[in-house]
Amino acid sequence: MTDHLSVTEDKKPPGLVRSSQNLGAGLFLMAIALFAFWQAQELPRGTLNAMGAGMLPQSLAAFLFIGGLALALSGLLVKGEAMERWSLRGPIFIFGGIILFSLLIRTCGLVIAGPVAMIFGSMASDEFNWKEATVFALILTGICILLFKVLLRLPIPVIGAMLEPFFPF
Amino acid sequence: MEAFLGNLSLGFGVALTLNNIFLCFIGCMVGTLIGVLPGVGPIATIAMLLPITFGFDPTGALIMLAGIYYGAQYGGSTTAILVNIPGEATSVVTVLDGHQMAKQGRAGVALGMAAIGSFFAGTVATLLIAALGQPLTKLAQLFGPAEYFSLMIMGLVFAVVLARGSILKAICMILMGLLLATVGTDLETGQERLTLGIQDLSDGVDFAVLAMGIFGFAEIVRNLENPETRDVVRAAIGRLWPGKDDFRQSYFPILRGTIVGAVLGILPGNGAVLGPFASYTIEKKIAKDARRFGRGAIEGVAGPEAANNAGAQTAFIPLLTLGIPPNAVMALMVGAMTIHGIIPGPQVMTKNPELFWGMIASMWLGNLMLLVINLPLIGLWVKLLQVPYRLMFPAIMIFCCIGIYSINNSTSDVLFTAFFGLVGYSLLKLGFEPAPMLLGFVLGKLMEEKLRQALILSRGSFATFVERPVSGVLLGVAVIMLLIALVPSVRKGRDVVFTE
Repeated sequence: MTDHLSVTEDKKPPGLVRSSQNLGAGLFLMAIALFAFWQAQELPRGTLNAMGAGMLPQSLAAFLFIGGLALALSGLLVKGEAMERWSLRGPIFIFGGIILFSLLIRTCGLVIAGPVAMIFGSMASDEFNWKEATVFALILTGICILLFKVLLRLPIPVIGAMLEPFFPF
Repeated sequence: MEAFLGNLSLGFGVALTLNNIFLCFIGCMVGTLIGVLPGVGPIATIAMLLPITFGFDPTGALIMLAGIYYGAQYGGSTTAILVNIPGEATSVVTVLDGHQMAKQGRAGVALGMAAIGSFFAGTVATLLIAALGQPLTKLAQLFGPAEYFSLMIMGLVFAVVLARGSILKAICMILMGLLLATVGTDLETGQERLTLGIQDLSDGVDFAVLAMGIFGFAEIVRNLENPETRDVVRAAIGRLWPGKDDFRQSYFPILRGTIVGAVLGILPGNGAVLGPFASYTIEKKIAKDARRFGRGAIEGVAGPEAANNAGAQTAFIPLLTLGIPPNAVMALMVGAMTIHGIIPGPQVMTKNPELFWGMIASMWLGNLMLLVINLPLIGLWVKLLQVPYRLMFPAIMIFCCIGIYSINNSTSDVLFTAFFGLVGYSLLKLGFEPAPMLLGFVLGKLMEEKLRQALILSRGSFATFVERPVSGVLLGVAVIMLLIALVPSVRKGRDVVFTE
């Protein structure tokens, strides 16, 4: 994928590729299909009147591979859209923020997980500024605790296991 | 007729208790509140708000959920009119004339007419569900596994035909959805499939997790990339109640929109998205002066909004009578119902009549609520829409995280959501439309089950799908639809419809 991307970053794709987006899309699907097929290959296929667990995953992966191949070929043969530019900032901070949330919610609770995830996530924006993001994250965490814990009584940990010793009540 | 009225009165008896009215009100309110946020469509809204229904009994929870659903739908229209951003595919059309009206200082009238049109459409569609529910359930009992399978194939073909962009890509998305649905323990043999040895995947991928990743988080990243062009209306909102002339111009568009939307909504495979487009096209075709469209013609708001709401409501019909969710939003409703111990399908109506009719009555109640509570709150929505995205997206993010965590109290669900968000972002970048994938995923398990059953009954012969008359007709319709969509001239027309 990566070397392919570098090719299409140029404004003019080399003559062979008519639509770098479709080529990339096809390769992406083929990779997924191969991975799924590899994972499912051990499963018994069975027969048509007594299908095994592997029949459907394997055949779907095969179909998906064919679809991906067709798409990749169309990327070579038919003129179409070029690959869009991929940004790193958005995915890193947004998905990073979510991962932080999942790591912190049990251990430290919402009081920590909320602000940390939100401040980290806020950095995905070009207009990020520390003060605003921090104040906003703290206020919103308060609202979330009030809404989800106090009003709706969801079993979401507000103070996690690691912090409990500091809050004896 | 008597049964029809009896059922409706049973339903209203359930829905009109003080408790349930309150739940419906809260549902509509928060549904709109979240649904109004730009970039948050009904799917993300419902997934986010699902946990708040957990504390109530099944009937109350479903009534609240119905409220959330309509609130989310109407919230999308509000955003479409007030800001130049369609919340979802179905309000794309509303943007065209609705936002123009808003710029001319007639936002209030546009919103008012949208609400009135939606209410009328909702009323008709509620009656339609009540009338069609029973006969269709009877029909469903005649369906064997082969018929079910073929019906779902037809639904998927519709989804392909109705998807935007390349047909090949849409087919690939369906296949990927079906493949994702096979993850987890095989129902018949108990073997783990494609779980990569991860314990949490043995129950399969949770639909809310997939939907939230792809429609919630991927969308945030996508929005951050495109510098904001939010065009919140600065003109006065104006009065809400449309004038005599507005009504005169809107009667027939609402009526036509309702019929078109209701009929398309029943089709499996997300026919509802087509309703507003169809309605807009019709109004434009028969208008005396088609140039008014796109410049703030009220018919261009009233008709499509009615169609939108009628479709949103009749989309419940395949779900409640056949147990087949026709689109991703309905699939989420299936998930919600399952959490409350109800498996949607023909048996709900017979085993749980209070719940079934109560929910149908509450749909109508939800529509009424929207009319009553939302119009006075427009000022609040406008304020909310002025919040800059840099503050809005961390809030959306944290609500999504809390929502997903609370569904199963599981941290790994939150991680999976991040993963699917990344997948969704990649798909968007590669020019795929993810909606058909979700439909494939939703129908996957049921399709596999029916396929296996049908093949056992036919001793492994695929001919059964063609030989059984009903199944054969359904497959025939699917093939014809696909072929028509591939005809070059139709393809062009399809592109025009979607880009207009």
